[in-house]
Amino acid sequence: MYSLSSRHFREVFITKLVFNLKSEASKTYLGYLWWLVEPVLYVAALYLVFGRFLQIRTGDFILFLVCGQIPFMWFSKSISSSSSSIVKGKGLISQVAIPKAFFPLLTVSQDLVKQLVVFIAMLGFVLAMGEGITIHWLGLAPIIMVQFGLIVAVALFVSSIVPVFPDFKFLIGTGLTILMFGSGIFYSYEAVLLPEHRAIFLMNPMANLIKNYRDVLMYGQFPDWSALLAIAMFSIVLTVVMLLIFRRYDSSYARLVIQ
Amino acid sequence: MKNTNENLIELRGVGLTYRTRSGMFRHRYIEALSDITFSVHKGETLGIIGRNGCGKSTLLKILSGIYQPDKGEIRRNCSKISLLSLSIGFDPELTGSQNLVLAGVLLGSSRQEAILHHDEIVRFAELEDFIDQPLKAYSSGMRARLGFSVGLKMHADLLLIDEVLAVGDVAFRHKAIVAMKNRITSDQTVIFVSHSMQNVKELCHRVIWLEDGIVRACGNPQEVIEQYADHLKLVHGVGNLAKRKAVLYA
Repeated sequence: MYSLSSRHFREVFITKLVFNLKSEASKTYLGYLWWLVEPVLYVAALYLVFGRFLQIRTGDFILFLVCGQIPFMWFSKSISSSSSSIVKGKGLISQVAIPKAFFPLLTVSQDLVKQLVVFIAMLGFVLAMGEGITIHWLGLAPIIMVQFGLIVAVALFVSSIVPVFPDFKFLIGTGLTILMFGSGIFYSYEAVLLPEHRAIFLMNPMANLIKNYRDVLMYGQFPDWSALLAIAMFSIVLTVVMLLIFRRYDSSYARLVIQ
Repeated sequence: MKNTNENLIELRGVGLTYRTRSGMFRHRYIEALSDITFSVHKGETLGIIGRNGCGKSTLLKILSGIYQPDKGEIRRNCSKISLLSLSIGFDPELTGSQNLVLAGVLLGSSRQEAILHHDEIVRFAELEDFIDQPLKAYSSGMRARLGFSVGLKMHADLLLIDEVLAVGDVAFRHKAIVAMKNRITSDQTVIFVSHSMQNVKELCHRVIWLEDGIVRACGNPQEVIEQYADHLKLVHGVGNLAKRKAVLYA
């Protein structure tokens, strides 16, 4: 198969990454500020509904919300934007022999850059809420890495399906909403679920990761290493399988998208 | 690849069939290329002519590696094949400079190389006053000039050109053709697709005439173009086909 060399791939990838971020920011008046404004708006909305209207008042509810909503938004936005990334890459695909995994990988990398800024702001918020820095914060880096791995794997998966079955796009939106309700963003699974259902709940990787974020940032614990390892293994296997599929069907994707 | 001959690229029995969806689960098959065999020698300029829908664009996509053929084989003895287009990867929000670098990188350069050639390209494109403006402020002619100039300056083992000489106003078009000629007469290997028989005659060493997915003729530009022109008269003419044939081939 004739395609970009890996050096060329890296070169195009980094150039596109930087330029896409710039281009996206230049489309709006607030530009880069949106990276922070958007998550703040979301958390504020959730707080208004659940903290004020529904009167859920566990001691530090706002912090609880932030630790759930911020990581979930990262996942949700990355997945929905990468789902049609290959279809949107039509312009490039029709002009350059480029591996199709390029597009979802580029999308999730853009979102990673933005998210790292959000995470820094989030840590500032956690400190401002009166939590101190503990040794357990060291567990944050592995959680973020595992979540990124999960995002890469799922992004590759959904982006491989949409060009073949465009209808799948609608299911992704619905699926993400269901996932949001099932990930314990605005409720504590320990308070709501029967003990025998908790293990099932934690099999949802996003629910599990959110629990780990809270353990580290709010409850002074290290993350659940075995859970992180399991999610990482799942992500690695899925990523490898998807990369092989993309390689095998590279030309078919080009034809699907260009026609 | 170590190959003893001087062919940069070789196609043998290449075919490609498109599948389009015509109903829920029904498909229609369209054979764009059925059996294409030819090779391109190092340093030559090969012209490809043919009517709309004869498979030229599909062939270029196969040559550049965007499509894999369904049958036949391709052998490439080069590493960098660029499909020259007038808007490769352009992003309207970015400035001319940024788009220039982006296009250069997509055509196979590194960022440093692209930046190195930046001023030269801008001068050639005559866009000195606009290069820091976002591309959305450009006219379509300015965009085309930028795209063409980037493609012209970037190195490629095999350059695929699809009808891009019709750029900008008369003065720039003249300059573009001269520059392209210079590049072609240097050691550059080129595959040139065009509807302008004048350009094909001037630029190409050899010409291939594509019709209905096969190579109808291949060889000396003058002869192939004549055959093609005769064929066009035949197909598009008015009146009795047999009579016209008799007149044409008398």
